[in-house]
Amino acid sequence: MQLLRSYRLLVTWQALRKKNYLPLMLAVQTLFTLGIVLGYPLLFPTLDRTAIYLIATGAPAISMLSVGLVALPQTIGEQKTEGSLAYMRSLPVPRLAYLAADLTVWLAIVIPGVVLGVLVGAWRFGLDLQVSPLVVPAVLLVALTSACIGYAIASLLPYMLTVIITQAIVVFVFMFSPLTFLPDKLPGWFEVIHRILPIQAMGQVTRGTIAPNMFGLPLEAFVTLCVWCVIGFGVTYAAMTRRG
Amino acid sequence: MLLQIEELTKVYRTGTRANDGINLAIDEGEVFGLLGHNGAGKTTLVNQVVGLLRPTSGSIRIDGRDMVADPSLARRLCSFQAQSQVPIDGLTPRQAIDLLGQLRGASKSEVKVRRTRLMEALDLEEWIDVDASRLSGGVKRLVAFAMAAVVPGRVVMLDEPTNDVDPVRRRLLWRQVRTLADHGAAVLLVTHNVIEAERSVDRLAILDEGRVIAEGTPAGLKGRLGAALRLELVMDPDATDVPTSPFGLSAVPVGNRVMVGVPTDAAGQAVAWAESLERAGLVEEFTLGPATLEDVYVALVGGADAGSAEGREVFDATAA
Repeated sequence: MQLLRSYRLLVTWQALRKKNYLPLMLAVQTLFTLGIVLGYPLLFPTLDRTAIYLIATGAPAISMLSVGLVALPQTIGEQKTEGSLAYMRSLPVPRLAYLAADLTVWLAIVIPGVVLGVLVGAWRFGLDLQVSPLVVPAVLLVALTSACIGYAIASLLPYMLTVIITQAIVVFVFMFSPLTFLPDKLPGWFEVIHRILPIQAMGQVTRGTIAPNMFGLPLEAFVTLCVWCVIGFGVTYAAMTRRG
Repeated sequence: MLLQIEELTKVYRTGTRANDGINLAIDEGEVFGLLGHNGAGKTTLVNQVVGLLRPTSGSIRIDGRDMVADPSLARRLCSFQAQSQVPIDGLTPRQAIDLLGQLRGASKSEVKVRRTRLMEALDLEEWIDVDASRLSGGVKRLVAFAMAAVVPGRVVMLDEPTNDVDPVRRRLLWRQVRTLADHGAAVLLVTHNVIEAERSVDRLAILDEGRVIAEGTPAGLKGRLGAALRLELVMDPDATDVPTSPFGLSAVPVGNRVMVGVPTDAAGQAVAWAESLERAGLVEEFTLGPATLEDVYVALVGGADAGSAEGREVFDATAA
């Protein structure tokens, strides 16, 4: 009971803290997704239908990764530096409630923009998206996994290192991850790495549930994401409860 | 004693010994001041009590219960105003205080009554529905205090609560600090504002380099200084040497001033000495007044830059 009560109150607190930025973040997230969906075809005007489907269904994963692995860890890093994270950790609430509340608010920020971006992209290119009901757990899992990994990075590393690493991740996600292209475009050894990392799996579960008529939905991708999600959450929880 | 700290030592991984064998005991109904320079180990101490840091050795007990073994209990038994600003931008003071009160387990209606009384007592009503991002630093600090005080724990720890607060509301705040103690809390007040502490605390400890170097009531500590009066010399900017006190007591430089302890029966002699220094062009002006806790502090810890071995020796000799 105390867990639920604390969770509810902390969600209110965190949502109020972020409410001034919520419309802006929503707009940025939508534009981010749209920017990928609409921008790639401008760069490469001869894209075929499959490539457009790949881009439109890979963009949500990129968008969620950009929040979870960049915006979130940088914010947490700032909170660590200014002492506000320590203050929140000093509150008489279960740390699990705090972490769950914070992650809930982050998911609430990222998901509407992603949905809006996909809808506008589908409309613009007249895509036939036969969205599966599994899209709900899939998007939640992708957003949560990114957020948990981002949280873990920020919890473990000093602020400046967090900023540098997250910038490197952005480049890796955008340029060298099979989200807007298929993995067979990568060298063999790179494919192996992406079978272990969660990024490719994020692309697979989003596109496999947004356009199941076009792409498969490998169970293995769900398993990979669950493992990374548990690792990210576990590391973060350990860091939150650890006394220096 | 409600809060009992014994042989508390904290050594950071960098090797810094932030707390070194600290012993403190604070009873309910007591306002206890923890004084010291920046880096003396004050915040490290409160962070251990509230369970954010794990002591290297030693014990912390509240009501006889082991807080090192159960940090979540420590967070429930302590309410805490941190030195940093509270993360409440986006919230109004009403929302922030109500949320904290409810997180501490009180009902919505109970919190409302307590919050209304506190806002009135701190004269903060005009800001009650203003977004905290638009509040001044001082008002935010008072809101942070109200968050710690609305549903207080058995131990209330306030880390520099008056920073940035205007003089009128400081008085209101001190009154509320006393009210907390009157209602049975043990209040641990961390500050480097010695003058305010003198008026507000029942007992205090002075921390230096992680150790308690003096502990007692303000009056008791002043008595141990061995000088009932304090001569303050404002030095000429060109004067390079600190004058030697003719009273066998400390002459401690603090910035461009020198504080000299003076026994009561030597008041006339002190004025004559200061006048001679003034005539010699070494001193621009001087004042003679009753010794304060600040003099004790300066004698023990020294000015902003250096400790005062000489002052500490005099203090220790008098205490012995």
